[in-house]
Amino acid sequence: MTKSPVILARDVVKTYQVNAQTITALRGVSLSFAAGEYLAITGPSGSGKSTLLQLLGGLDLPTSGHLELMGTPIERLSDAQLADLRLRRVGFIFQRFHLMPVLSARENIELPLAEAGVRPAERTARALDLLAYVGLTARADHRATQLSGGEMQRVAIARALANRPALILADEPTGELDARTGAQILDLFDRLHADGTTLVVVTHDEHLAERAARRVHLLDGLVDRDEIARR
Amino acid sequence: MTWALVIRSLFRHPVRTALVVLGIAVAAALLLDMVMLSGGMERSFSRMLLSRGFQIRLSPRGTLPFDTEATIPGITPLLGRLHQDPDIAAAGPVVAASLHARVRDSLVTFVGYGIDPSSQGLYEVRSGDNLSSTDTTGLLISTPVAERTGWTIGDSVTLLGRLDPQSARAGIERTLVVRGVVRWLYDARGQRSLGANFRVVQRLGPFPDRDVASMVMIKVKTDLAVDRVAARIRSQHPGVEVNSVATLVRQFRARLVYFHQLSLILATISLVVGVLLVGTILTIAVNERAGEFAVLRAIGLRRARIVGLVMAEGAVLTAVGSVLGTGLGLVTARFLDRILTSFPGLPAAISFFVPAPDTTALAAIVILVAGVSAAAYPAYLAARAPIAQTLRADAE
Amino acid sequence: MPALIAAALLAAALQSSPLPGVAVERRLAERFHVAVGDSLALTPRAESPTRWYRIEAIYQPRPDPATALRGEYQVRFHLPEIAGLLSAGDRVDRVAVATRTGIAADSAAFRLNQLAFGYQAYPSATIASESSQTFAVVSRFHRAIGLIAIMASAIFLLCIMLLKVEERRLDAAVMRMIGIGRLTIFKAFVLEVTFVAAIGSALGVGLAWAAGTITNLVYQRRFETALVFSYLTSDIILLGVGLSLGLGILVGAFAAARLVRTRPLALWRRAG
Repeated sequence: MTKSPVILARDVVKTYQVNAQTITALRGVSLSFAAGEYLAITGPSGSGKSTLLQLLGGLDLPTSGHLELMGTPIERLSDAQLADLRLRRVGFIFQRFHLMPVLSARENIELPLAEAGVRPAERTARALDLLAYVGLTARADHRATQLSGGEMQRVAIARALANRPALILADEPTGELDARTGAQILDLFDRLHADGTTLVVVTHDEHLAERAARRVHLLDGLVDRDEIARR
Repeated sequence: MTWALVIRSLFRHPVRTALVVLGIAVAAALLLDMVMLSGGMERSFSRMLLSRGFQIRLSPRGTLPFDTEATIPGITPLLGRLHQDPDIAAAGPVVAASLHARVRDSLVTFVGYGIDPSSQGLYEVRSGDNLSSTDTTGLLISTPVAERTGWTIGDSVTLLGRLDPQSARAGIERTLVVRGVVRWLYDARGQRSLGANFRVVQRLGPFPDRDVASMVMIKVKTDLAVDRVAARIRSQHPGVEVNSVATLVRQFRARLVYFHQLSLILATISLVVGVLLVGTILTIAVNERAGEFAVLRAIGLRRARIVGLVMAEGAVLTAVGSVLGTGLGLVTARFLDRILTSFPGLPAAISFFVPAPDTTALAAIVILVAGVSAAAYPAYLAARAPIAQTLRADAE
Repeated sequence: MPALIAAALLAAALQSSPLPGVAVERRLAERFHVAVGDSLALTPRAESPTRWYRIEAIYQPRPDPATALRGEYQVRFHLPEIAGLLSAGDRVDRVAVATRTGIAADSAAFRLNQLAFGYQAYPSATIASESSQTFAVVSRFHRAIGLIAIMASAIFLLCIMLLKVEERRLDAAVMRMIGIGRLTIFKAFVLEVTFVAAIGSALGVGLAWAAGTITNLVYQRRFETALVFSYLTSDIILLGVGLSLGLGILVGAFAAARLVRTRPLALWRRAG
């Protein structure tokens, strides 16, 4: 039996207007991948990696082409449906962590759970479980601003996992971290993959890309290479 | 969770938040004062006029009560007809005249009220006894009279009437006994007024035609019948001016139109200041936190939720500001009232700023609605910002 | 003598016998469409008989704040005519007395009060002070309200100036990083807020002038008077401009000093 793709992109084009200039970030990207895959998107700066990731996560809509998330064409979704999709089916991890600075580590994880309507006791228990999963139980009540870079990124990973999403999208997750801390995050990603999470990671980091089972290399807004790693 | 995010966000810039709250508090205080001023005078005037339950005043044609020295002629037959009206519970005539007395070698002038003690709406007894309807030798004095003259209850005093200004000689003298100390409801602060039976003051006063009154106060059996009774008296007695408390309040309002307009203008300015403060500060805060709002949307918060977060910040700022402003407004209202009630000749019972729960609630609700509305634009900005583009800009 | 109220007012054809003359104020003439030469029936009370007069002049009374809001109309008579109309006999309300040069009004009034009963003499200054009590109260009220309004606007100004400087965190960080001295940055920011405060003050003066003009137009029309309700004096302009400029620069300087004291990297992070 063939698994239905988590993501299906056909001839996806994305252009931006910057001042009076039109910039084409993606020129017709086609790719698909299935549940449980660990995919790294690589490429030089300006190749369209982050733009592709944002389209895959429903943060933006393609200018043309067709994009399906878990079998649903995203161009047909309303803004509220897209928000719901991001809340329940997709988890985001950003290069600069983007935690809410006024909330504690636990509260940051509880935020998407609260939005999804999970009861307070249940969401606290879930947040503590996830903090334990990323090894930060002791830092549960520390404000985001009191955590180190690596700790912040681990909280961000826990937040992305809060509503048990079908897909985790990470944009340069080790970009702001030193080599040792970055390695810890990569180990965590391996664990996530081993636990069955579908992972798409945009990265410059060769170590990270090498750990992914499949690598898509973008160049000038087009898929240059799409290769399965040999282990 | 939402409220934790809202409250803690406001505490990120404590100085800024404190200044905004203080600004809203001052604006809310001014708004409350102006709301009190706009309705307070009428409320206080109406309360004063109705304090003894008399809803209608008759005065000489073309005048307001005690506005001039004019009198209503033929008062006895007029009272007789009023007493026959089945809707009228009481009709109390009042005649006012300048009366004098010699106090320690000096001539002191008083406002003398002639009243019918059985149906009067002019005073409240503070100490001693009220007069009876048949008491033609009794006198009621006020505290300022007692202070000026040293008269006490039981003293016999000689009042002079119809004083000739050229010779300072009285046309009539009458010795009366002080029966009680009263508070004259319509007197200005410090005004020296005394009262005696209606017929006594009629005789002491400078009235060529004795059967006159300066005013008649009428108590109608039910409030619902007031307009009907006023209309009936108007048609039956075209020679007198008939005013219900409602029409007197309207005339009072017309005379003090300036304060109404001032209160309206200042209330509008205070609202504008409040709206500008909340709107400006939240717009700047939203621009500063554009990346955070984009992240919140990226992790699945709907636009409506973002709007709610920003508007809740506006609501918290305004709510705290309006609570402080209510306290500040009540304090400043007392201060402002003290200034305005020093108007010469104003009845002591009149207040310009009358605190009342409905007025306070109205001012608080108006400033709260204005503050929350002021947050609408920054909330719109926060919710409408494109996620991907904002995140990209934030990362650069 | 009680105030005379024109209770019945008619324009009619000239009477055959010569009528006593009166002067009526412009508002009255316009309101009842009467002109010089018309005759008027006047009565002190509704129930009293009327007397006929001929309008000999129409005049513009001097603006008087004490009467402007009452909406009453003025008619001027020769003294015997009004005394006759009111059956007042040989009486007057008041007599104006001019003293010879060099004689103080206070001492003249004192001497007059010693001479006889039946009147009380006051120096004009005392009457002016007594009769302006109402306006003194209104003036005190305006000052108190003005104080509250100044407080509200000062806080608003503080917020804006604080934010104006704070939004320049990134610029301050960059300038510090490329080696520009603290004092130079401080001066630049203070100059900037001074400029903003000066423009704001000028706009404020313009706005106050416009509001005053509108207020005067509205109230002069409403009360049919030439009274000036709103004066924008140089003192008021000085106070307003001084306060906004002074407060603006002070707060701007405070915020700028705080900004330049902060380490550039901290500024950079906070700006990001």
